[in-house]
Amino acid sequence: MLELVDIGRSFRVGPGEVHILRHLSLTVAAGQLVSIMGGSGSGKTTLMNIIGLLDKPTSGQYRIDGQDVLKAEARELSRLRNRLIGFVFQSFFLLPRLNAWRNVALPLMYRGTPEAEARRRAIAMLERVGLAERTEHMPAMLSGGQKQRVAIARALVGEPRVILADEPTGALDPKVSQEIMELFLALKREYGVLILIITHDPGVAAQCERQVVLADGVLTEAPRGC
Amino acid sequence: MLKRVVAEAAANLLASRQRSALALLGIVIGAAAVIAMLNVGAIARNETIRQFRQLGTDILTLRADGNTGLGNFQLADLEALPMELPAVAEVAPFVIGGGSAQHEGQVAVSSQLGVTAAFAQVTRMRMQGGRFISDYDRYELYAVVGAGLAQQLSTPYAPVRVGSGLRIGRYVFTVIGVVEPMLPSPMMPVDIDNTLFVSIPNVRRIMANPSLSMAILRMRPDADAEAVTAQLQRHLGPKLRDQRLSVQSARQLIAGMQSQMQLFTLLLGAVGAIALVLGGVGVMNIMLVSIAERRREIGVRLAIGAEPGDIRTLFLAEAVLLSVTGGVLGIFLGIAGAWGFAWLSGWEFVLSATAAPLGAGVSVAVGIFFGFYPAVMASRLDPIEALRAE
Ligand SMILES: Nc1ncnc2c1ncn2[C@@H]1O[C@H](COP(=O)(O)OP(=O)(O)OP(=O)(O)O)[C@@H](O)[C@H]1O
Ligand SMILES: [Mg+2]
Repeated sequence: MLELVDIGRSFRVGPGEVHILRHLSLTVAAGQLVSIMGGSGSGKTTLMNIIGLLDKPTSGQYRIDGQDVLKAEARELSRLRNRLIGFVFQSFFLLPRLNAWRNVALPLMYRGTPEAEARRRAIAMLERVGLAERTEHMPAMLSGGQKQRVAIARALVGEPRVILADEPTGALDPKVSQEIMELFLALKREYGVLILIITHDPGVAAQCERQVVLADGVLTEAPRGC
Repeated sequence: MLKRVVAEAAANLLASRQRSALALLGIVIGAAAVIAMLNVGAIARNETIRQFRQLGTDILTLRADGNTGLGNFQLADLEALPMELPAVAEVAPFVIGGGSAQHEGQVAVSSQLGVTAAFAQVTRMRMQGGRFISDYDRYELYAVVGAGLAQQLSTPYAPVRVGSGLRIGRYVFTVIGVVEPMLPSPMMPVDIDNTLFVSIPNVRRIMANPSLSMAILRMRPDADAEAVTAQLQRHLGPKLRDQRLSVQSARQLIAGMQSQMQLFTLLLGAVGAIALVLGGVGVMNIMLVSIAERRREIGVRLAIGAEPGDIRTLFLAEAVLLSVTGGVLGIFLGIAGAWGFAWLSGWEFVLSATAAPLGAGVSVAVGIFFGFYPAVMASRLDPIEALRAE
């Protein structure tokens, strides 16, 4: 479903150029759970921004379901992000002035879903991630694990085909981290959604059916159980 | 959709109350100044109309000036005017002076006019009781008093009315009429309410150096004030020899008052405009600060699927909401200010129909104008940069 071919991404820094990704290729089938590991500064977030249609590579090709998404213009990209992709960030990025269900409902709002329906679906999704009792809470009143569950509900509420999670457990303690991982596994089974998890934690990566490592701008498959 | 945008904007503004209030202040002051200006203009216009309603606008006043002081008309020259100049309907020559009168121990100082019977017609005065001075009264010791003066001279036991005796200097005049209350007119050198009238022959008895220096004249309805003024100068000028004749028309006076009002209105308008611009800059400043603080929120919204247009709407709504709130408060403050002005100057308060909608319109325009740039800036943020922001 995701097909990256020969992706290069370089940044202009002062007079020179730094090449973060070079000739990177990756194909992920629908419904796969893939972990991406790699040293700090290796370009994992850069890669995720490209996959998430927030950034464009300097070279290469990127197709989603065969559609060349690098040709899409800004509005079309917004629409694709809204319909196809859900983001989960390391530090949750909930909007502090919206309560839990309004945070979750946000992707639906930008789609023009009527408020009543958006609310119903947001609350159903919060129930699914185990926060039935916290739908009206403001983010500041939630624990880290709870915030991440809200963020996951927000990523999932629009029924995307792809979830991109950038170090989703990086800010959580091991026990909560494991709970979040189990939630991802359950959601993958239930919704058949493709999940890409960027992580530094080998324990997290080990639970993914496929693991890749980013180093020197290219991806290499890690043998199972490394 | 609109409701949701407005509700969200309101919530965001409430979240940073202090800052919002500060930006609000500028808009409130600006809108209030604009509204006050418009309303004071309306009040002043209304007042001008009110002042001239009593006498009408087809009035001229004539004055003769000598080299050393007041001049002297010949009574016959003035009284012949309606016959000699077709545009002149009626003329009321008068001698002007002032002094005190006594009644039952009450003393009051007032203007004193020596008049002919025509005075009542030209000024369209009405009598509360009795009659006005007639041309046959000549040396009879008769007096007519204005409503205010009658009240001042009255005692609880002896009101001034027809038949009362007034001591003026060495003479006792009999009151033969009391005038109905009248508004003061800018065309008259005296306030009729506070004036005592006697016949022209009698003025020598109550004034030291009387001179027939003034007249009030009513033109025919279709006459042109400027043409009549020129005719009068041609006709009366030679008869006055070395004295000067000055003619003032009601229209000329109104024009003068209006241009003065316009200046005042313009001044207030300029103050309002400056305050509004400052308020607008305040709004812009707040929006820029707010956007800088909420970069990550903007990044998240963009990642989630918001289009740049959605972000622009979000921030534009905040700016407009802020200035509309300021505008509404400003309307109330401005109207209150205009009311205070009317109260202080003793003028009648009228609500200008254009003030409120114009004030509201202007403040919305300010919100859009000064909110647009920050909103566009926000919508152009790069989502990656915005997400990285701390
Ligand atoms: N806009 C940019 N301009 C210049 N350099 C950039 C830019 N964005 C990223 N980089 C550089 O690219 C490299 C990769 O950054 P990236 O955030 O993708 O790393 P990462 O693998 O996610 O690291 P971490 O594990 O610490 O999150 C870093 O050295 C970073 O400084
Ligand atoms: Mg990273």
